[in-house]
Amino acid sequence: MRWSYVAPRLALLVLLWAFFFFAFDPLLKWGLIKGIEKGAKAKAEIASLETSFLHPSLRITGLAVADSGSEYSNLLEFSELSFAAEGAPLLEKKLVVDAASLKGLRFGTPRKTSGRLAFVKEESSELVESMKAESTGFALDRASEAKADLSADYKVDPAGLESVKLARQMEETYQKDYADISARFDAKKYQDGLDALKARYEKAKGEKNPLKQAKEYAGIAKEVKALTADFKKDKEEAEAALAAAGDAFKAVEDARARDMAALMAKMKLPSLDTQSIARMLAGPVIAEKTALAMKWMGIAKKYMPANTKGVLKNEARRGREVHFPKEKTYPTLLVRRLELTGELGLEDPLGYSGTVEGLTTQPQVYGRPTVAAIKGAKGARRLDFSASLDATGDIIKTASRLSYTGMPVKELRLGSPASFMVDITGGTGALEATLATEGEKIAGKAAARLAGASFKPRAENIKAAPLRSAVESSFAGLSSAVIGADISGTVSSPRLAVNTDLANALSKAFTGAMGAEVKKAQEAAKAKVDEALKPHRARLEGLAAEKQAELGEKLKDAEAGVAGKAEKLLKDLVPGKAKLPKFKL
Amino acid sequence: MNPIAIIRQFFQGLTAETTPGQIGAGITLGFLIGLMPKATLTAQLLIVLMMATRVNIPMAILTVLAVSLANPLLDKVSDPIGYALLTSSALRPLWTKLYNMPIMPWTGFNNTVVPGGLVLGTLLAAPVYFAGRRFGVFYNDKFRARVMNSKVVKGLKASWLLDWYFKGEV
Repeated sequence: MRWSYVAPRLALLVLLWAFFFFAFDPLLKWGLIKGIEKGAKAKAEIASLETSFLHPSLRITGLAVADSGSEYSNLLEFSELSFAAEGAPLLEKKLVVDAASLKGLRFGTPRKTSGRLAFVKEESSELVESMKAESTGFALDRASEAKADLSADYKVDPAGLESVKLARQMEETYQKDYADISARFDAKKYQDGLDALKARYEKAKGEKNPLKQAKEYAGIAKEVKALTADFKKDKEEAEAALAAAGDAFKAVEDARARDMAALMAKMKLPSLDTQSIARMLAGPVIAEKTALAMKWMGIAKKYMPANTKGVLKNEARRGREVHFPKEKTYPTLLVRRLELTGELGLEDPLGYSGTVEGLTTQPQVYGRPTVAAIKGAKGARRLDFSASLDATGDIIKTASRLSYTGMPVKELRLGSPASFMVDITGGTGALEATLATEGEKIAGKAAARLAGASFKPRAENIKAAPLRSAVESSFAGLSSAVIGADISGTVSSPRLAVNTDLANALSKAFTGAMGAEVKKAQEAAKAKVDEALKPHRARLEGLAAEKQAELGEKLKDAEAGVAGKAEKLLKDLVPGKAKLPKFKL
Repeated sequence: MNPIAIIRQFFQGLTAETTPGQIGAGITLGFLIGLMPKATLTAQLLIVLMMATRVNIPMAILTVLAVSLANPLLDKVSDPIGYALLTSSALRPLWTKLYNMPIMPWTGFNNTVVPGGLVLGTLLAAPVYFAGRRFGVFYNDKFRARVMNSKVVKGLKASWLLDWYFKGEV
């Protein structure tokens, strides 16, 4: 035995043991803090971290992650996280936890020290900023001076209109998208493929060996079917892309409404439509909550597997791998069940508890979705939250539902100090929300019902006395309200529609006080925006109609050609057509 | 493995463990390692065996390199052998059991060239050993003195860095 080789390795083992015994926990704690700070873009603290190797387990206490958007508050904190890992999967470099426990989870708690990281700047949400700007820009100043020809004082520069810019941009992208769709859907390759298969069939027809002929026929039929399936898939994709391009027209319409509202604001006149008023009133509050939800979704997305199929790839560089039935296949990380307890809210917090099941980095290996269920109750308050994340298929799907009733509303301020505000105090609220995502698509609804509250309008900024008194009186007898929001679009670029019955009351007040004059000015402004947009919209619509018709025709012709040819070839390939040898008895 | 340790063993091996039997054993082990895919526990264990036993390391390393270069050709023999073994219905329960055992998947036993290479290497071990031993006699007789007196080895032996690192063991 070469002891000069063996002895140093034994010493290394001793050193390795000493490292795990003395230095591993502090290093893991440091690594974990740095990892969390990178993800949350704010400071993170861990009070203690303990690992055990003989019975593999981890215990973390006092974890706090600061909020990158609010220097002196925490995004979340918990008092203890503990779990024990299963030994056998660790030998396969996999961390499987049967039961984990997370205690004292709280959100938005205050911090004594700054949570800001040096050189890290939190980017403000585009959604929140646009809603705030719209609310601030909502003008009421000159409502009393409104006259029919007020819009004549304001010139509309077509180049400055958002709708015109969008229509121009869409014209360019539509041309490009169409070229892409057209290139993707190349019927010629299918025609050529079928021609080649037809040639193979003709050759096989002359084959004298019936067994060889039958084998070749079967091969050709298989390829024809595969080619037809590919064609069908490409055709469906082209049709879907065409339909999606058509949907984009809605965006121009939305931009036109925003141009109208901006022009009205420029003229210092209030917009009378309830959508604009609702956005002014509840937009900033809802956008802030939505941005927070999106922030959490963004953090969750960072840790979601981008391509769950990729993790199963295991091709050998040399030789071939033969796989055998596996009694147990573990994902790289799996927490089968996590028990969760915590508190919601800072003043008079509501205790909750629940479970998260099937938390994994390889959902396709685990084969089940991650589900969470949380419930809490205190007095009249009831919290019920459920969520699921299904990444077992090709597209990641999520669905969540939140119901929080009996929620005390101590103080809620809607609107903007620059235009108009409503202070809501002393009521109870009930929130019902659903949110679903499928790939990048997002769809959700939320409705908050306020009851038994007092509504105090703050209309000091409304200079026109009749309008101010109309607004104040419209809120006088109110004790309940509904504020709703619909979210749609994509995860990276969500669209938010806000509605509230408070907007209806306000709109009535505006219309009653000086609606006729404002409406006339609005009509004139609308005509100006429409006039500026008209040539661009006409060009875009013409282009879309022409290209859609062109591609539609192309699809139809291609389908008739490819499907017809494929069907005929398949008919020729039926076993009956294979000539059997004649035997003379 | 530490590459400097391999270099050290390589140079030490030029002067130590140079009996024909040790050279033959080194070549045999090198041949077996060369047949294996290196990123498997099997290959790593064989390397540890090579480093831990008193076989001639330079010859073993040179054989590993030579056989690794010939892998595309040798795989044509080891792959079908391994495939036949891994798909044999008689052995299926054994493979399935191994596949479900901890650590065993790291050995790469389910890759055709691992069992195939092991079988091929074991079958050829005796002829390779005897051929290697004869080569050892030939090397000691004709080349050892020339290698030791070569400018490269002399230069390396004269290098203060190597002298300090090897502590005069070369």
